[in-house]
Amino acid sequence: MHLSDGILTPAACAVTYVAAAGAVGYSFKKLNQSLTDRTIPFTGMTAALVFAGQMVNFPLPGLRVSGHLLGGVLATALLGPWGGCIAMTLVLFVQAALFADGGWMSLGANVLNMGVVGAWGGYAVYSVVRRALGGGFRGSVVGAVLASWVSVLAAAALFCVEFRWGHPGPEFSRLCALMISFHSLIGVGEALITGLIISTVAAQRPELLERATGASTVSVAGMGRLLTAGLVTALAVAAFLAPFASEHDDGLEAAIQQTGIEPPEGPEPVAPLPDYRFPLPAGGWDQAAVSLAGIVGTVTVFVLALALGFVPAFGAKPAVRNPHA
Amino acid sequence: MPSPPARRADAALAATLAVIAAGLCIPIRFWPVHVCLICVVFAAQTIARIPLSAILHRLAEFLPFIVMLSLAGLSRGEWEPSVAILLQSVLSLMAAIWLAHVAKFDRILQTLRSWGLPAVGIALLDFMHRYLYVVSQELHRMRQAQAARSFGRVRIWSAWFSSAQLLGALLLRAFSRAERVHSAMCARGWDGQVRLLDEATGARD
Repeated sequence: MHLSDGILTPAACAVTYVAAAGAVGYSFKKLNQSLTDRTIPFTGMTAALVFAGQMVNFPLPGLRVSGHLLGGVLATALLGPWGGCIAMTLVLFVQAALFADGGWMSLGANVLNMGVVGAWGGYAVYSVVRRALGGGFRGSVVGAVLASWVSVLAAAALFCVEFRWGHPGPEFSRLCALMISFHSLIGVGEALITGLIISTVAAQRPELLERATGASTVSVAGMGRLLTAGLVTALAVAAFLAPFASEHDDGLEAAIQQTGIEPPEGPEPVAPLPDYRFPLPAGGWDQAAVSLAGIVGTVTVFVLALALGFVPAFGAKPAVRNPHA
Repeated sequence: MPSPPARRADAALAATLAVIAAGLCIPIRFWPVHVCLICVVFAAQTIARIPLSAILHRLAEFLPFIVMLSLAGLSRGEWEPSVAILLQSVLSLMAAIWLAHVAKFDRILQTLRSWGLPAVGIALLDFMHRYLYVVSQELHRMRQAQAARSFGRVRIWSAWFSSAQLLGALLLRAFSRAERVHSAMCARGWDGQVRLLDEATGARD
């Protein structure tokens, strides 16, 4: 996920730097308003934790590669959106400065994709779902699972938009399809890891999660909870897939303009329909692949969220409240 | 007046950023410039005695993704975007590897402070850097203990489950540590305000 330099154009780097600086600056401003003597130790420790957590590899079935936690939603569930955004920025900065992991010029894009989208966007989904489910163990876990998946997908989508800037062309839709397909699966992994970690925390130290979102929760009864969680996911998927449909159209239009709606050179296959005289670009399949990946991802994450949220707190001791909290 | 090591970190950071920016901004039709810059950075790495294996290991981690993006451009028959992505990525990655080896992190922070970054941000980075190794070592010990208990052979689902539980346990331990550290800081007069010692005089700001 970490972008190194050279992938984005200087203009895209500059714009993402400005956007990320604005977002992180705003987070600092909000954090300063609520700055207590706890802020620095807890934000710093969470950043160190996310950094260390990224070193734990999770094996992928049938493959020799492995995935790891990204941690945007985890940080935001513990610290709230402002602290979470800053913690992720710290992680990305230290990775660039200490380990050359992610480029210096792409730092703005990395912060925007993983820090700002992960923390702010993740928090939006997390807090809505959590409140809809009435808070508590179930709400936290389902919220974290859905938020993690959506944030990974959003980061991938944002990267595609950034990459397109300076690398236009019909291949864009293919790249998007590839990125979105991969990341809808990577997002399932992220959702699973974050859900399991949050379930451990929610079972043993629930006040850590209460602190970040505030104690006020609005309970929605019965089937309403399920429907709300489903609706949020469906909306998120629709929101992310819609731009790609339009991006694909752009690519198609560009291709039509370039070729003047003439058949390409070389032997032309007999067209079954006059409307399909123009050869279907690979994007047609890409679109199907994107939709399929989206649907599979949505269903998987939704089932995952329900499964994790509705099982009793496995193996957990009764919640012990910290008397000093 | 910054001390000499601080000035060196200053120069190293500025030089790295300049090389990366130059690599990104010079058009790829002047590709010999990029190749020369890569050679210069490699020479600097050799002078800094960075092991070749470390450089190659780091490059190997990033190259698959870079090559994938580079090939996405190549399929259109234009070589320029592909070569640009490849050369610029390698150049900036090598420059960043050099910086990570030669500049100490606290000196980089000192430089950033003199460049006007907010004090809270620097204090947070300082705190994170201090506890990064503590948390990482704790994680290492926990994983070692876990591997010893499971004889290192587990199924995929239980590997995921136990790794996530391990991270959850690490999180709880890290937060307990943060609470203890916070108490210790309060006991030493911490009130949320960052105060620094001036290196030259030893006096407080």
